[in-house]
Amino acid sequence: MISVFSTIARYLLDVYYGARSVWSSCITAIPYLFSAGDFRKEVTEQYPDPISSRTADDLPPRTRGLLYNHIDRCTGCKECEKTCPTQCISIKADQGAEDAKLWVSKFDIDFSRCIFCGLCAEVCQPQSLVHTKQYEGAVYELTDLVASFGRGSVTNEQREKWASLRRAVESDEVFL
Amino acid sequence: MNELSGLSWSAAWRVALGLPEAAPQWLIATIGLICIYGLVILPSGWMVAYLDRKLSADFQARVGPNRAGPAGFFQPLADLLKLLQKETVQEWSWREGFWLGVHTMALYSTVAVLPLGSLALLVDTDMSAFLPFWATLVLALGTMLMGFSQGSAPGWFGGVRVAAQALAGAFPALVALLSAGLQAGGFRWSAFAAIQGGSPLHWTAFANPFQFLAMVVFIISGLVLLGIPPLDAGLSIPDLHGGVASSLYGRRLSLFQLGRFYGFFLWSVITVVLFLGGWILPAGLSVSLQEGGDWKWLQLLELVWLLAKTYSLMVILVWVARVNPRSRVDQITDFAWKVLSPFSLFALIGAALCAGWNVWRAGV
Repeated sequence: MISVFSTIARYLLDVYYGARSVWSSCITAIPYLFSAGDFRKEVTEQYPDPISSRTADDLPPRTRGLLYNHIDRCTGCKECEKTCPTQCISIKADQGAEDAKLWVSKFDIDFSRCIFCGLCAEVCQPQSLVHTKQYEGAVYELTDLVASFGRGSVTNEQREKWASLRRAVESDEVFL
Repeated sequence: MNELSGLSWSAAWRVALGLPEAAPQWLIATIGLICIYGLVILPSGWMVAYLDRKLSADFQARVGPNRAGPAGFFQPLADLLKLLQKETVQEWSWREGFWLGVHTMALYSTVAVLPLGSLALLVDTDMSAFLPFWATLVLALGTMLMGFSQGSAPGWFGGVRVAAQALAGAFPALVALLSAGLQAGGFRWSAFAAIQGGSPLHWTAFANPFQFLAMVVFIISGLVLLGIPPLDAGLSIPDLHGGVASSLYGRRLSLFQLGRFYGFFLWSVITVVLFLGGWILPAGLSVSLQEGGDWKWLQLLELVWLLAKTYSLMVILVWVARVNPRSRVDQITDFAWKVLSPFSLFALIGAALCAGWNVWRAGV
């Protein structure tokens, strides 16, 4: 049989343990107030803006920000369009004035669907599609989130005109 | 003694506000309440909310608010403005209306009895120390109804938890209050002020070990009663999705949070007045200012000193709350009934014996 005194002692001991637990956790937290030690320093990555006195250039080198396409390097191979898991890239490439190169008339990236996975930039053979470090893409209209990098549609007359210009250059009729 | 002490509370306020002699009492009371609310309670809410967020960020190795104003100081204001401009979608139910009524009643009735200095005692009667105590119970009742009014499982369970905690915390809080009253020989705010001094050695909490125990019990049972973190099982996020506050948003949420802060603030102010020297300035400053007749300075310094102690107490409680996990509701009620209650009775008996000993020694 457990005596009354041992029950009381057990009870008081439990109260003491409870108080000690609360107290010791309070003590443990004190170094955090002064950011003492490596594990207690703030590790929060702050939003780059004037308040945190950081700029977009301070972001890591492989930051996947908004996409940009260097259209003069783009071959219009549509690899990015095929690999995109969310089908946010839509490309229209026509036969251009030069036979060797396609005329990328439409290169739209819908950032409302883009998940910034980086697969498109990875497969881009001429490395024309790249991630910038820009990260602020908020707009008021959903349609404004579509970025267009295409050269625009070309009519047959224009195509003919450039083809004849190219022929003229090649046969030294026109000096550039 | 002084030119204001003989006057009624309304006369003291009338003189302080510079109103004409013929000003009606309700007008003085309204202006007084608005003054206390706007100049003391709302700024205190701002301060403590800011300190809470910054300190808890520090404890968790985060940065905390740093966008609104210098070091994020205007974050509580920004939050308030955001909540106020939110659109209401739900209709008001009669239960919610009842909650609003109870809430407003509890808030305003206790603002009147809030002890904020020797001259700002609006109500100083033999029952003064009990009135805020009942008001916290009414606040708990209102919070319970708030939960029930939402007609959701989190609301119902949260409401039941709030009620269970209020019942469990009321008894030890009341007994601890009796201990302090025993030392003061009454429950007037002025009686509590009369027996305490500016130096911590003359505070009730350090008069004898039993009073210190009574203070600890009083603070913790207040946390239980009002459901203040870490004992806020009625508002638990992980298991109740926020409990009674689960479907509150916008203006209602800001009102609810203001009420909760007010309960916390009220309890801290009462603790300071009962056990931690109240508004009496250190180094005999109160007496010299009273003799000099600098009433405005006296009241201002007393208020600042009282609020400084109150904020310190609140910050300590925030510290405890942010480094300890939220307790389960059955553990909280168990703790209140099985630990706080016996300890409060033990403190009361000890305090009574000490008071008797003092009387006997004075007689001899």
